[in-house]
Amino acid sequence: MNKLLWTLPLSVGIAAVVLAQQPPAKKGFGPGPGGPPDPATLFRFIDTNRDGKVDKREFANAPFTKSQPAGMADATFTVLDTNKDGFLSTAEFQGIAAVRGGPGRPGGNEPTQPQFATPKAATAAKTPERATSPEELAFFESKIRPVLVEKCYKCHATGEGNKVKGGLVLDTREGARKGGDSGPAVVPGDTKKSLILEAIRYAKNDLQMPPEKDGGKLSDAVIKDFERWIQTGAADPRTGGAVAKKEYDGLKAKDHWAYQPPKKSSVPAVKNTSWPRTDIDRFLLANLESKGLAPVADASKLTLLRRVYFDLIGLPPTFDEVNAFLDDKSADPLANVVDKLLASPQFGERWGRHWLDVARYAESTGKDVNTAYPHAWRYRDYVIAAFNADKPYDRFVREQVAGDLLPSASDKQKAEQLVATGFLAIGPRGLNEQNARLFYLDVADEQIDTLSQAFLGTTVACARCHDHKFDPISQKDYYALAGIFLSTDTRYGTAQGVQNRRPSELFELPKSASAPTFERTLTREARAGVEKQLADKRNELRGLFTPAPGQKGKGPQADNDPRRTLDRLRLLFETGQLESQLKQFDATTGEEKALAMGVQDLPRTQTSERTANFRRFAEGRIGGGRPDEFSAIADAALYTRGDASKPAEKVARAFPVALTHGTPSRIPTYASGRKELAEWLTAAGNPLTARVWVNRVWGWLLGEGLVDSPDNFGTTGGKPSNPALLDTLAVKFSEGGWSTKKLVREIVLSRAYQLSSAHDEKNHLADPENRLQWRMSPRRLDAEGVRDAMLHAAGQLDLKAPVGSVVALKGDFPIDGPNTAALGLSETQLNADTTHRSVYLPIVRDREPEVLDLFDFPDASLVTGKRESTSVPAQALFLLNSPFVADQAGSLANRLLRWQSSGVSADESAQLKERVNVAYWLTLTRPPSANESKAAQDFFAKFTGGKPASPALQAAAWTSYCRALFASAEFRQLN
Amino acid sequence: MNPTPPFPCQQFMPLLSRRAALSSVSCGFGWLAFSALAARAAAADKPLAPKQPHFTPRAKRVIFLCMSGGPSHVDTFDYKPRLVTDDGKPGSRPGSLWMAPKSEFKQRGKSGLWISDFFPNVAQHADELALLRSMQTDLPAHPQAFLRMHTGTSQFVRPSLGAWATYGLGTENENLPGFITIAPPNNVGGAQNYGSAFLPAIYQGTRIGTGNRFSGSQAQVKNLQPPGTPQAQRLELDLIQSLNREALARDPRNAEVEGVIESFELAFKMQSQMPTVLDLNKESDATKKLYGVGDRDTDDFGRKCLMARRFIEAGVRFVEVGSGNWDHHFNLSTQLARNCTSVDKPIAGLLTDLKQRGLLKDTLVIWGGEFGRTPYAQGNDGRDHNNKGFTLWMAGGGAKGGTSYGSTDDYGAEAVQDKVSIHDLHATILHLLGLNHEKLTFRYAGRDFRLTDVKGEVVKGVVG
Repeated sequence: MNKLLWTLPLSVGIAAVVLAQQPPAKKGFGPGPGGPPDPATLFRFIDTNRDGKVDKREFANAPFTKSQPAGMADATFTVLDTNKDGFLSTAEFQGIAAVRGGPGRPGGNEPTQPQFATPKAATAAKTPERATSPEELAFFESKIRPVLVEKCYKCHATGEGNKVKGGLVLDTREGARKGGDSGPAVVPGDTKKSLILEAIRYAKNDLQMPPEKDGGKLSDAVIKDFERWIQTGAADPRTGGAVAKKEYDGLKAKDHWAYQPPKKSSVPAVKNTSWPRTDIDRFLLANLESKGLAPVADASKLTLLRRVYFDLIGLPPTFDEVNAFLDDKSADPLANVVDKLLASPQFGERWGRHWLDVARYAESTGKDVNTAYPHAWRYRDYVIAAFNADKPYDRFVREQVAGDLLPSASDKQKAEQLVATGFLAIGPRGLNEQNARLFYLDVADEQIDTLSQAFLGTTVACARCHDHKFDPISQKDYYALAGIFLSTDTRYGTAQGVQNRRPSELFELPKSASAPTFERTLTREARAGVEKQLADKRNELRGLFTPAPGQKGKGPQADNDPRRTLDRLRLLFETGQLESQLKQFDATTGEEKALAMGVQDLPRTQTSERTANFRRFAEGRIGGGRPDEFSAIADAALYTRGDASKPAEKVARAFPVALTHGTPSRIPTYASGRKELAEWLTAAGNPLTARVWVNRVWGWLLGEGLVDSPDNFGTTGGKPSNPALLDTLAVKFSEGGWSTKKLVREIVLSRAYQLSSAHDEKNHLADPENRLQWRMSPRRLDAEGVRDAMLHAAGQLDLKAPVGSVVALKGDFPIDGPNTAALGLSETQLNADTTHRSVYLPIVRDREPEVLDLFDFPDASLVTGKRESTSVPAQALFLLNSPFVADQAGSLANRLLRWQSSGVSADESAQLKERVNVAYWLTLTRPPSANESKAAQDFFAKFTGGKPASPALQAAAWTSYCRALFASAEFRQLN
Repeated sequence: MNPTPPFPCQQFMPLLSRRAALSSVSCGFGWLAFSALAARAAAADKPLAPKQPHFTPRAKRVIFLCMSGGPSHVDTFDYKPRLVTDDGKPGSRPGSLWMAPKSEFKQRGKSGLWISDFFPNVAQHADELALLRSMQTDLPAHPQAFLRMHTGTSQFVRPSLGAWATYGLGTENENLPGFITIAPPNNVGGAQNYGSAFLPAIYQGTRIGTGNRFSGSQAQVKNLQPPGTPQAQRLELDLIQSLNREALARDPRNAEVEGVIESFELAFKMQSQMPTVLDLNKESDATKKLYGVGDRDTDDFGRKCLMARRFIEAGVRFVEVGSGNWDHHFNLSTQLARNCTSVDKPIAGLLTDLKQRGLLKDTLVIWGGEFGRTPYAQGNDGRDHNNKGFTLWMAGGGAKGGTSYGSTDDYGAEAVQDKVSIHDLHATILHLLGLNHEKLTFRYAGRDFRLTDVKGEVVKGVVG
């Protein structure tokens, strides 16, 4: 074998790979910036199954060997495989750089400076191809090119006004040969592999070109021309690159700031040394000073107190708390308040709700057949408890991803960790999906989407159908993660029903875990009755699934008797309801079981879908089996263009390459990989997890994150306004034990947090968005804040946490019921007529309680790190006219009117003044101004017509007045 | 890799914040300066203010008459003589039999469109109708198909067509919401069908009643009824606004306070305007009769259609009107007849009324359901779901009257010529509204989203 012959094209091939990964701008290919990828990077590209070694097939499929003459790849492989184990290790693969080094060093035994071909060489040594005859060229020009131009370029060309659909360009030879997402369009001499022929022949349903609306199928004569053209070698004189629009530039995007591990910076020096109180202040002030700006004045004590209360516990301070603060003569009264609030159970309710926004928490499936998740509340309570206990954030992350796989010291802990995995189970879900494979792919997709945005601020799910357009996430990365979730059994419950084709099991928490329940019972007799009913109905159902007399064809699809169909649907629903009822109670004791949503690993061996369905059918239950390939722990296939019917090669379960620093644990074949994923997410080398969390916390306290797109740290997201501060906080956070409470405390006790929200013209002009934190950004109360603060002022708020939720009490059912009033939740139930804190209101997807929905509660199907803030008339109508606000205003009015009995003063006008004063403290945490007192007096005078008012009229006047305070802009503001 | 500008189409820059708007102004302040500022800021974040479309629109507004359940096309708007001749012969599904239409088809108007006697009144408007006879959707299941019809996908939570249209064009009357949906079903995807998903919440549809609980005579918008007398409320509102102005005086640069002030004035106006629009007693008896209001069979849908016209006239951009129970697995001959009767006269009345008011030329009326039904029978007198071929029609607003576009096979089982997908339909509707479906985008989670995702071709054949 003449080594000289093959080394040259191989190295050219490498250059071609490099070319394909570079932006269009031509750069030199020597070592240095803009140079080729190093062999280690190349290795990762080639190692498609991610097992850390390259086998012959992978090597042969590498872009740079693929185009080589037959046998070349094998020969090269043999040379590189120095230990002859049939695999190339990274070290062995390094040799590829040396291949170009010249004859005599094929094995790369001597370390050599890697050299790569220059672009000139690349052009000079185009893949050798048989010379084209003039006849063949003429044929192309007369028969082929015109058709391509007329019929194909519109959607498959690089020129102005054209598109590149399916990643395919047909206006260059390279483009046609390389093909699009489905594979090469033109393979010279091979009519079978040339997809363009398959497409124009309309051979398959899903690949028919040109499409109907562009004239439809070509004439047979034209199709014959194309066949002949390809058979005779597909002569094609056209030049130009293969890909017009670069879809994926992972290597470049990998340099993006967010994918580098955070580094602590030293605290910068500042000119105004007397201003800063903490290091946070120094970072911020240095930035401001560099722009010639200075922070505004500090907030007033009362403003600050109201701010801290709402930010930390979501409630305003009580009278006593205000007084205690104002009377506190210790060195740092605010620190005392902060410590008290951090230790109060209301902290977890407020901060847990922040996380529930991110975790798209809800108690129903949403989507097509909105079905209740009666056990989702356990996850809600887990989250609240985690914040109250200041569970280290890394542990919090790990438990939600893999709590079921982590060691536990007790049943209680075990149960808690299982409930944590509810994070993966509470997502929106289309239970009526007929295509089982698509259903499970969608479940995994939703998990990947939520997990990657929530923890990593990265939109990995974009890579389901193609490599991510902007971030270094390849489609392979996506399916490497998908394998982990497809190896996971997600248990979300729901009862079988008319439109629920995909009910799942739940987990039963051990009694020893003493998880709360409603403590209902199902007596033995009652149970026997339900069992009998179920058995009867199942029998009846089985009968309806066996072919009717005289029925042609098998299965219910062929059953043409409408009455039988109707009965089937009814029985499916009824048996589902009965099953769910039985499952809720212990068969022997009759006690209510503690059921929970969550995940566990699938078994290691496959069950066939048919067998599973058959077994279920024998039990009188219908369908719902997992597709064979998703019934056990396994790597997932890459689905071409995200199409569930097009599985391609398997991708080993792994973590996104570009986000991986250091060596993550290998995922064993016998486990889903969630545990390893959880470790990877919280490992020291993970560049995102700590940063994303620190940024979220900052945003929740200051109105805007240091990165203003908290769920997207990718190349399309915002840039940090103060990178050194973000990184330093992130490093300190992870090194200091991932304590959220400590982080909150540190931020709140900074002077920056305590600034007033006053306007400053100079600062405003330089930094209108307040990204540099020259003041506190004025904010609005969130929906929970609005409701809780009204209840609080009215003296109606019940601070005790309830067990469960309204949804849980109602049980397993479709939210809107199958057109019967007996099932489903009424409008009143959905709006939860309770005085508990808003975090405990039922969160049913698409049917969120009105009071929350109106005030920008996030869409519970989407990860939300930052809520909207709108002022719309529907809010005003709610405040002016709704019974809820009227009730709270009435209660507050009562409270104020009772103030009289405390006998502050007998004088009527003094009394009115006193009540107005109290009303202001209760709603706005401040006394009224002189103008406002005057406005109140005028209001009451007008309302009562200046005459002594009857008690009823007085109550009406005060109710109206209190409602006005609730409706005022200031009530909803947080300055 | 082309870096995409954050808002590729400047005119659709979403909700430029007041802060951002304020930042572009550098004068000092004082009350006068502030008023000017506030006006500018308000313009910048009045998301419902009318916006310029991409090109000259044919339609300024839309009324979507949505028949949920899947109305049968082969009994109404898709004429298949083979079904008559082959009635009772084996159909395409094993064991099934073709079933002739339950109503006779006739050619109508100058255009000679074939329409069945189930729609005798609508048929009189044949020359206004553009029939899309080659509609297809991806799944024959109600929830998925219904969501797809409204949002383009059932797989993901996405904004509804009406939300996109309102986002693109704003509305002509800021005293009313831009997108109203009358009696939408609360199953089959529920609120998602008129939701705004990641678009600003202001674009979501305002629901009036729901499918199962709504009858046309009980139309309601929540919280429109003041708890006390109008005088008492005005007094209360004056107090609220005086407190707000006080707050504004303390912090003149706080544009959010200004926003609250505005929203209360608007709400107050809505309180009076909304009931007025909803009050059908303002209409003449002749008009009510035209819509079939007062007749037992047509009263409900007639009221809804009349209400839709009143909304459109008042400046609402997109009105959807729901009619349920088109899922005729059984008793097709009687039930379908009843359904058709209940909507036929009201729809014809709507078309007549719009025309005589000069509104039809720029109001796009769409009729259709989430899919069609099988040409073969289910049982003796029913038809099953059919996603592979069905008919939908458009009238007015630039739709090419008297047209039949595309076709299904000889039996109406599957679209075979000029197939139209839901994305194509959406692209066409936006096109008629003067919006390029590829340019109407919203940036969310790092990507520019479209109603039509990466697909959709305008069906030029129905554009007049």
